[in-house]
Amino acid sequence: MNSMWLLAAARGTLWRAALGRDYTWLQSPGCVQAFWTGPLRGCSSGSKLTLRPGDDGDGEQIPRELVPFENMFRQAAQQGRSKATWCQVVEAFQNRDVRRREHVEFIYTALRHMVIFGVERDLDAYNCLLDVFPQGVFVPQNYIQRMFHHYPRQQLCGIQVLEQMETYGIMPDQKTRFLLLKIFGEQSHPAYKYQRIMYWFPKFKHINPYPLPDPLPRDPVDLARHSLTRIAADASARVTIYQMPLPEQEDPGIDHAQPYIVGIQSPDQQELLARHNPAQPVLVEGPFRLWLKTTCVYYYILHAELLPKEQQEEVIDLEQSFYYPLQLDLDLDRGIWDKETFDVEKVEEGPLFAMCMVGAGDQATLAKWIVGLQETNPILSQTSVIFHLRPGPQELQLAPSAAKSREEEEEEEAQARWGTREA
Amino acid sequence: MSRHLLRAARAALPAGARQLRTAVPRRRGACDFFLGTPLKEGVFPYPEITNEELKEINQFVGPVEKFFHEEVDSKKIDQDAKIPPETLRGLKNLGLFGIQIPEEYGGLGFSNTMYAYLGEIFSLDASIAVTLAAHQTIGLKGILIAGTDEQKAKYLPKLASGEHIAAFCLTETGSGNDAASIQTRAKLSEDGKYFLLNGSKVWISNGGLADIFTVFARTEIVDEDGTVKDKITAFIVERAFGGIMNGKPEDKLGIRGSNTCEVHFENTKVPVENVIGEVGGGFEVAMKILSNSRISMGSASVGIIKKLIEMTAEYACTRKQFNKKLSDFGLIQEKFALMTVKAYVIESMAYLTARMMDGPGLPDCSLEAAMVKVFSSEACWICVSEALQIFGALGYMKDYPYERYLRDSRILLIFEGTNEVLRPYIALMGMQYAGKILTERIKEFKQRKVPFILTTFLGQFQDSIGRKVDLGLVGDKGVIHPSLEESGKQLEENIYYFGQVVEGLLRRFGKTIVDEQLILKKVADIVIHLYAMTATISRASRSISIGLRNHDHEVLLTNLFCKEAFFKNNYAIAELEKYSEENMDSSIKKVARQVLEKRAYTCSYPFDRTF
Repeated sequence: MNSMWLLAAARGTLWRAALGRDYTWLQSPGCVQAFWTGPLRGCSSGSKLTLRPGDDGDGEQIPRELVPFENMFRQAAQQGRSKATWCQVVEAFQNRDVRRREHVEFIYTALRHMVIFGVERDLDAYNCLLDVFPQGVFVPQNYIQRMFHHYPRQQLCGIQVLEQMETYGIMPDQKTRFLLLKIFGEQSHPAYKYQRIMYWFPKFKHINPYPLPDPLPRDPVDLARHSLTRIAADASARVTIYQMPLPEQEDPGIDHAQPYIVGIQSPDQQELLARHNPAQPVLVEGPFRLWLKTTCVYYYILHAELLPKEQQEEVIDLEQSFYYPLQLDLDLDRGIWDKETFDVEKVEEGPLFAMCMVGAGDQATLAKWIVGLQETNPILSQTSVIFHLRPGPQELQLAPSAAKSREEEEEEEAQARWGTREA
Repeated sequence: MSRHLLRAARAALPAGARQLRTAVPRRRGACDFFLGTPLKEGVFPYPEITNEELKEINQFVGPVEKFFHEEVDSKKIDQDAKIPPETLRGLKNLGLFGIQIPEEYGGLGFSNTMYAYLGEIFSLDASIAVTLAAHQTIGLKGILIAGTDEQKAKYLPKLASGEHIAAFCLTETGSGNDAASIQTRAKLSEDGKYFLLNGSKVWISNGGLADIFTVFARTEIVDEDGTVKDKITAFIVERAFGGIMNGKPEDKLGIRGSNTCEVHFENTKVPVENVIGEVGGGFEVAMKILSNSRISMGSASVGIIKKLIEMTAEYACTRKQFNKKLSDFGLIQEKFALMTVKAYVIESMAYLTARMMDGPGLPDCSLEAAMVKVFSSEACWICVSEALQIFGALGYMKDYPYERYLRDSRILLIFEGTNEVLRPYIALMGMQYAGKILTERIKEFKQRKVPFILTTFLGQFQDSIGRKVDLGLVGDKGVIHPSLEESGKQLEENIYYFGQVVEGLLRRFGKTIVDEQLILKKVADIVIHLYAMTATISRASRSISIGLRNHDHEVLLTNLFCKEAFFKNNYAIAELEKYSEENMDSSIKKVARQVLEKRAYTCSYPFDRTF
């Protein structure tokens, strides 16, 4: 944008491009060129930075100037990564120096550490951070100051705080506004940023027609219930818990002695299944992936192959309606202007009968699901069920050799006739 | 007593005039509106009945009215949810259980007109009206219109005398309009002599009282090509056949005195000779019964409204508020005008239709009957509600009968085919008729034959710059009295433009119009108005011409109604000419779709905040 003012403001500093992935925010529209301010004495000739011994070496490149603050957070993190410790660090900085020297560097460091301390979605934490800015100093006093960027580094830093809030979807509140006005004044870039956020965020708050509970339930059965109703998209679909997990542990990493089985089926699907020709097998297929926010879950479906054309078409019975004709005996079609549907190329699919989520995606568990389904769908006991399973998430976690052998097992189409087996 | 009197009085009359007609060939009737032509034949002049018939009705009506005023305690019937046996006996003695059964089977052999007239009196007690209607307009109608002579001779005499009561068993759990919901089965026995009936029927009027049931059940039919099909067959089932059980009477909102319950059949043996019509022909029988069963509903509504006008007028003229009588307030006067207009219109339509059904040529008037049913049931509901409003809080009290009228009249919108089912019926019957005739023309248009399209648009252009519609109803050679000239012209204009709209709709939607229910509703509403306008204008013309008492009042009512209907029709026609984005149909559908998706009201609370 305008590196001019940046240069003008950077007294005694040298500009050096930092292309590390952590500075991607700098490439945001607010700052077209990726610059990073490095102090003159800390300048090294190459683009490599010397890492301090004891760095956990996750590849982060940390400018040396920031290192003392880095240390503060690192030490605090050792005591425990929580909001309290994070706040302690911020407080410690505030108490250190009445002039709040180097507060911009501190805020940048603090912003980067928010994720580590798990406060990246905490409004208080951001307000707390904004409070670090000295108040009143950066408020422009006359129109010339207002016209040019007054204290550009500080304003940029303020914008960065708001930007990070935006990234995590945190809506500022009145306190944020109050702080921004005290720090930067009304006609400043952070205040404008605040206004823009407050314009768009409320509009987007309910934009998702299919909202998820926040936070997502931790209980896998609850999660399965949410996910299944979400995919089914039919309000009359009924969720059935065929088997509860035993022992009741919430940690998904541990194998349950008895994995949970949660299934969903709508009355329409039941009807479809009842009309299904028992001579044709039905298939259990999966796992398919479903993302809920940052959680990935897997589901399985019970479906049939694509039906031949003549079975798909519904014939209107002339003797069905006692009162009015269901079709007219006319040789006239719909005009071109009244076609309200678009030409959509549809993927031809067979009927889908039910879906489920299970604690363990092996055939034995899924077979239990089918047995459970037989109670409401008696026709399943006369139909052969083919298990067509792909390697699931569990397999991927196993050691390569074991995973491979299991994969091979699963990839064979395991046929099992459930007709003889009773629930 | 009165029955014998009546017999004697009727002996001189030609029997043919009163015979019940069974064959129902399709007549054009109100379908003509869909082609943009007015109804004339059989409508102008308003049909009349002979002096003898009139005398006969008046003789018969007297005792019935007296009975209803003196011996029927509607409040008690409503409270106890039961018609007392002595009241039923009284009805039987009056011969009211066999009004339309021919005389040779012991009935009164009345025409539809006379039946409609009596219906006006029955309606004084809705429970009795429903009981009688379930018995004779649907319960035994199957035997009357499709039964063999043996069946008639066997069952009709006892049904006519009221010794046996009939019920009509069609509806099953699921949907009453959908034949697919019929799951009751009749299986032919091995010796081929009887059917075994199994299944249950719900909401059967008279189900607990009836001895004779008209039952519809599925039977297996082997087609000519050898395939086995399930088809519906109608049976006459006597309670004496055994295996028939009733559920307990349903507790209802209104018509509480009528008996409604479930009827279960379990291995009921029905002899083969008790099949009505052919085996597998039950659907036809059901259609015929249902389409002809609505004659009395219009006149019943009139009966209720007339009674309410009397009661409310009495109250409005005596009660004072701010030192003024209620009747001096404009808003109260408006309600009386509304009730009177509605009563007048329904009366005109109902009797015109009934007379048309009796008229020569045994016409099928199911379309007209459906229109009367829809219009009268809705008008009746509005009038009862307005009448209750005149009484204010008093009307809301159980001590007064108005709330009972309100509850009772609600059923009119529902039974005998809900109005939502009848509207598409009305519209589609006409569309089918018009479509057959217009197909060629529309095809030419669609093939983009330039001269044809040009003439069409030229015609429309001429219309738009002020064409005078003249369909020959008014003027020197017209059939409408000059005092009704304005209404007549409005009717002509509506009919003409409606015809054009229908053609446009057929061009646009073709046979897929079946799925456009919002359009069908508007079409049906227009046709109903057109028919109502025609009926009132015709009746008022006759009244002026022969100088009936208060015919000036009739002219007022007619003009009032026609003007209102004219504007409503114009609005509907304008909407039909537009595409669904413009006439809000697509928005209506969208709203419904979004609500139904969530199955709840979806808007946020007005004070909800997002920040």
